[in-house]
Amino acid sequence: MSGICRTRLAEERKLWRKDHPFGFYAKPTKAVDGSMNLMEWEVGIPGKTGTAWEGGVYKLMMIFPEDYPSKPPKCKFTPPLFHPNVYPSGTVCLSILDEEKGWKPAITIKQIVLGIQDLLDDPNVNDPAQSDAYTMFKNDKLAYERRVRVQARENIPK
Amino acid sequence: MSDDYSDDDYYYDEDEDMMDAEDDDGSAPSDDDMDMEVFDNDFKIPGKAVKKSYEVDAEPLSQAQVERLMQADVDHISGIFGVEASVASLLLRHMNWNKERLIEKYMDNATAVNVDAGVALAEDEAPKAATNSRVASSPKFSSTGPTRSTRSFKSSKVKSPSPKREELFVCPICFDDTQTQTMSLSCTHKFCASCWNAYVTGKIREEGEHSIRCMAEGCALVAPDPFIHEALGNDTATWTRFQGLLVRHFVSCNRNLKFCPYPNCTYTVSCPAAATKSALLSIVPTVVCGASPDHKFCFGCAVESDHRPVICAVAGMWLQKCHDDSETANWIKSNTKECSKCQSTIEKNGGCNHMTCKKCKHEFCWVCMGPWTEHGTAWYSCNRYDEKASQDARDAQSKSRASLERYLHYYNRWANHEQSAKLSMDLYKKTEQKMEEMQITSELTWIEVQFMKKAVDEVFKCRMTLKWTYAMAYYLERGNPKELFEDNQRDLEKAVEDLSELLEQSIEPAEIASLRQKVTDKTVYVQKRNEIMLEDTANGFLEGRWEWNSTVDGLD
Repeated sequence: MSGICRTRLAEERKLWRKDHPFGFYAKPTKAVDGSMNLMEWEVGIPGKTGTAWEGGVYKLMMIFPEDYPSKPPKCKFTPPLFHPNVYPSGTVCLSILDEEKGWKPAITIKQIVLGIQDLLDDPNVNDPAQSDAYTMFKNDKLAYERRVRVQARENIPK
Repeated sequence: MSDDYSDDDYYYDEDEDMMDAEDDDGSAPSDDDMDMEVFDNDFKIPGKAVKKSYEVDAEPLSQAQVERLMQADVDHISGIFGVEASVASLLLRHMNWNKERLIEKYMDNATAVNVDAGVALAEDEAPKAATNSRVASSPKFSSTGPTRSTRSFKSSKVKSPSPKREELFVCPICFDDTQTQTMSLSCTHKFCASCWNAYVTGKIREEGEHSIRCMAEGCALVAPDPFIHEALGNDTATWTRFQGLLVRHFVSCNRNLKFCPYPNCTYTVSCPAAATKSALLSIVPTVVCGASPDHKFCFGCAVESDHRPVICAVAGMWLQKCHDDSETANWIKSNTKECSKCQSTIEKNGGCNHMTCKKCKHEFCWVCMGPWTEHGTAWYSCNRYDEKASQDARDAQSKSRASLERYLHYYNRWANHEQSAKLSMDLYKKTEQKMEEMQITSELTWIEVQFMKKAVDEVFKCRMTLKWTYAMAYYLERGNPKELFEDNQRDLEKAVEDLSELLEQSIEPAEIASLRQKVTDKTVYVQKRNEIMLEDTANGFLEGRWEWNSTVDGLD
């Protein structure tokens, strides 16, 4: 599938521009010379309303490997997010993003970002990726929620 | 394994015959036969017919033979359930080839098993297009065959019910609308053939996956073998790899089977005798795969390829102990003492004899190990040698030192044999030189000097045995059985060292004949001692004769 990486990404971009979920954004980055870099996307994921994540739009880089869509893209919050399933580097730990678990070539960018949005308020305690958020989530839910709300406020789009 | 030893037997028979023949200066076959018989009675365990007690029944299987075993299971299940072979295979793989459990579960709830195995879709996920509500609940469901449609723009022969949609098919993965061939599983998630090919190839080649699911998001349907075959097209290499993966999975699920651990070896060994954990407490299943006699490995563990005569659990314990202790133990023994209260190991690197344990704050005297309170103000000298408390402290100390001492006794001998066995590679080289030398200086032919190499082989083998007997002796409880064990060990060790010495000797042309005689005799003797060692130890395990001084995993 190596040859189809860019075709597929171009198509994904078309589909996204035609229709995407409210509050999200996803666009390929620009290289220094102003040309479009399809292999790296800048994505914004809004917290769901009614949750502690509400109000924030969390910035994430989606980096596609050459063998996409055989292999999933790497999704990385910049800056790293306070969340039990986000590694200290910012990389998201999610089954559909793991080629040996739930990744399927047919999964679209839209499905990925919606999956990550779901993960925000519904962390998977069986797969902790950072200790700060995980221990706080396990031991002190109130403090955790407070911390998440602070983070949401810091991420209000300008 | 029986090959292993009887080959040697056979060899020596010949060798002896040659000796005799030399003396007689003529060799009548009848003579040879007679010699052989006599010899057999004296030294030999009769041929392959009788299994020695330290051997296990094991059968090497080639990949094709394992495939036949798999096929038999698949046919069995497919016959019982009335499903296609490919479906039966998926079901078996899902249940890790546990036929009984599969049958039980399938009889209980066929639909659930089908869904879990990825053979059928759960009812609420079934696509509306097909009439799957009926199909999925039927146990005879077998619509997992590949669906392949070829789109042709000009052909008007095929009239699809909705030709417009068919024409507009764009593969949701590559968005290439020039693809004319599509494939889908019974879930009807359609993708183009080249995407399927790339996906299946990647899963097999890069991830070594034998269970390949539909490419659609969340779809749990697993591609059956014919579908994979079709998706791969004429890529036979990947198909072969896939077959290999299936065999590996089958072997890893079957307790009677083990894959040969040697690189690139495709053989499997079947050893039902060593399949259970409890069996491993009484036998040491050293097996050889069919590919090469060098592919010797232990069926029960990965500790070492041949750790006879000691069983896997004890061998593992010993290696773990060596790993933990060995060199450190030596240093600790000579440089430290233990706190008489909390047993922390303490190195005294300066200062006076008034010690305060960093851990438990116990104050004691380094010289007599007694509590410091009894010393008053005598900071640099200890005149309290006979105090009871210090006596006790020293006793405890010497006890722990003694146990270390004991361990080192066994460890050093164990390590020594290992070292010598490693050095025997050099010995091989030296021996080869000697053999050449002998051919030049004497009238012996190539075949006649082989006795040297054979002797080195035997020394190597016996050193491995000896090595492990020390591990075993370390854990054996004191008593008669242990004494007998150590007698055997001593006899074998003495014989091996004697033979080693003979091999290291420089060769005097005049003495070659007598050297040859000596080496040959000694080799046979060593071989016999080794047999006795192995045989007796194995019998001891079978009889439950051995008693251990520490808990062995699985033994009471």
